[in-house]
Amino acid sequence: MINAIKIAATSVAALSLTASVALANPYAPYKGDTLVVNFPAHPHYNAVMKVLPEFTKETGIKVEVDQLQYLKMREKQTLELTKSKGDYDLLAYVVFSKADYVYADQLENLARYFMNPKLSDPSYDASDIIDGYIGNIGVAGGEKGYLPGPTGSLYGMPFGSETSILGYRKDIFEKHNLKVPENYDELLDLACKIPQLEPGMGGLSSRAASGHHASHAFLLHLAPLGGRIFDDEWNPIVNNEAGVKAAQALKKIVDCGPEGARTFGFAEAGAAFLQGRTAMFLDSTVFAGQVNDASKSKVVGKVGWAAHPAGTRRGSQTGGFGIAIPKNAQNKEAAFLLLQWLTSKKADRLIALAGGNPSRYSTHNDAEVNEKYPHMKVFGEALKYADPDWRPIIPVWGKINADLGTALSKVLTEDLDIKEALDGVAERTKKIMDQAGYNTWK
Amino acid sequence: MLRINPNRMTPYMFLAPAAIIMAFALLYPIGYMVYASFLDWNPSQRIGEADWVGLRNYANLLQDESFRESFFVTIKFAFAVVTLEMIIGVGLALLLDRNIRGMSMLRTIFILPMMIAPIVVGLMWRYMYHPTVGIFNQTLKSWGFEPIPWLSDSNWSLISIIIADIWQWTPFIFILALAALQSLPRSALEAARIDGATGWQQIFYIKIPLMMPVLIVTALLRLIDAFKVLEVILVMTNGGPGLSTEIMSLRIARTASEFRELGVAAAMSNLLLLLLFVLTVGMFIYNKIQENRAARIRKVAEEA
Repeated sequence: MINAIKIAATSVAALSLTASVALANPYAPYKGDTLVVNFPAHPHYNAVMKVLPEFTKETGIKVEVDQLQYLKMREKQTLELTKSKGDYDLLAYVVFSKADYVYADQLENLARYFMNPKLSDPSYDASDIIDGYIGNIGVAGGEKGYLPGPTGSLYGMPFGSETSILGYRKDIFEKHNLKVPENYDELLDLACKIPQLEPGMGGLSSRAASGHHASHAFLLHLAPLGGRIFDDEWNPIVNNEAGVKAAQALKKIVDCGPEGARTFGFAEAGAAFLQGRTAMFLDSTVFAGQVNDASKSKVVGKVGWAAHPAGTRRGSQTGGFGIAIPKNAQNKEAAFLLLQWLTSKKADRLIALAGGNPSRYSTHNDAEVNEKYPHMKVFGEALKYADPDWRPIIPVWGKINADLGTALSKVLTEDLDIKEALDGVAERTKKIMDQAGYNTWK
Repeated sequence: MLRINPNRMTPYMFLAPAAIIMAFALLYPIGYMVYASFLDWNPSQRIGEADWVGLRNYANLLQDESFRESFFVTIKFAFAVVTLEMIIGVGLALLLDRNIRGMSMLRTIFILPMMIAPIVVGLMWRYMYHPTVGIFNQTLKSWGFEPIPWLSDSNWSLISIIIADIWQWTPFIFILALAALQSLPRSALEAARIDGATGWQQIFYIKIPLMMPVLIVTALLRLIDAFKVLEVILVMTNGGPGLSTEIMSLRIARTASEFRELGVAAAMSNLLLLLLFVLTVGMFIYNKIQENRAARIRKVAEEA
């Protein structure tokens, strides 16, 4: 009899315990739901795929992932977002899509989710997320329309973001007693010195292929050398002194680069470094994961990392992806919970350990992450100088970007005069801006 | 009197389904494209939300230097490619128009290039043209020549893509020319041989004139295709260096996806369509004139 009472009592206690746990579980109302998300095929998101089952285990919300090549993704999303009922609950977008999607009013403003006490996690610690990334990828409506500022608001969270970083061959630098460049003079000097010291080896591998790649490489140098595409009133100033200097830097780097450098895209530039055909690499951090992968790299264990060298100022690129909730999503609340979970301290760390790009300062300083990826600390340091305004994020940028890239390719391959090329870009850009209405208030 | 005679309606009734399908499947999309070319339309908008801008897209295009450059690149590419392919293809057909053992096997091998997916062709050639590990430059270097900047020099890049296109599409002309040759009336050739015509005379005075209708259609098909080739060049150079290999279809694709200007892309497509239309009509008129002339000569000969 006593035994029976005991059993009854424990089971009642156990029941009430589970009930109270269920009450404290903010994920409970969405248990069993399935979210459909759109992610790119990208090293960061491959790492995310390894961590996602953890989310389902913890919350009971299932996630179905549609992974696409990132340029394909944009086309698919453009179609998806114009439908009245979308298939995606959460999507990853390339940073320059921010302008288009926000302008077309296709993304949810995240304020009402962070305001909702049932959804918003008080231990989220948003100030731990890298400022440059949030400003660049998440916020719109502030300064210049695409940057943070008093009028800005949040539409997405950085997820799989990247900055630029300098990789160098430790063995080569030691052999010739070279100093890791800290500023642009040293960098450019070394870029052309290495081919003399190590015949057959290029100095720095950079992208240079006509179009987006050439433009990207130029912009990498433009911000640190003190330049911008536009002044504060949308007048193109790409052809000023700083612009010319950046183009000269690019030309010098490509001329002293490995054979065939003038048509390198991102993949070729990376491959040249991995094959040991150049001594330095200056581009996105997303590349770092491959360096010590023996199946792709001949330089395992020989690569050191340093911050993007400074010119007249420090300014490394900001780019990559963010995640946002489409306006036409079917299950927005649960999508927000997933967004919040993925960008939380815990998940950021797990994803970093699986080989992704963390977006939080704390992850960059985490002991375990640093033990596995010793370059994380350097990256975290470099990120303090991540420049959210290194390129304009406006709807007409695609067109200006292509024109700039073409003109620079002509500089690199046809010896077109730099000033002349940039003057041409500025003139055509002005016309594009006129037509797009940026000069309406002048 | 105005009563409709059902018997006379019958043929139209039978034609109606085909006509309706034509109208929807053919004219509607083209009409849509023409309409879109008058809009300022980006892919984030539905077509109804786009602003009407009249002829602005066309006016801008005509002033756009990059568009003009890519227009001339296209013309250069298309004419170079078609001319060279016609010469090589017809030449090969003339050479191989004989009874060789294993001819059908040989023919299959010859047309392999055009059966390969264009993306693969582009990748293959891109690696063969690779400045350091590509087979061309490796060979040149081992023979002691200077390597050629196949894809990284704007003078060479157009030549490089022309070579790749010739490799891929000459078989198409070869196979059609060969078919035409083998269906020529043997009696005419025999008569020529009996009259003592040399091999060259047979080719220039008999074979080629008789093949002409087929060759014209072949050239036209190739020309239309050459104006629209996209994937191979996209993979090999993506239009670079500079704009040296940016042919129109590539520019249209970039305008639609990269610049997000669907209206401008539609306007460009219309201009391309117009150009091809003029070429096609011109070719057919030329063909018609030739036929009429031949008929007149024949008539004169019969009367005499």
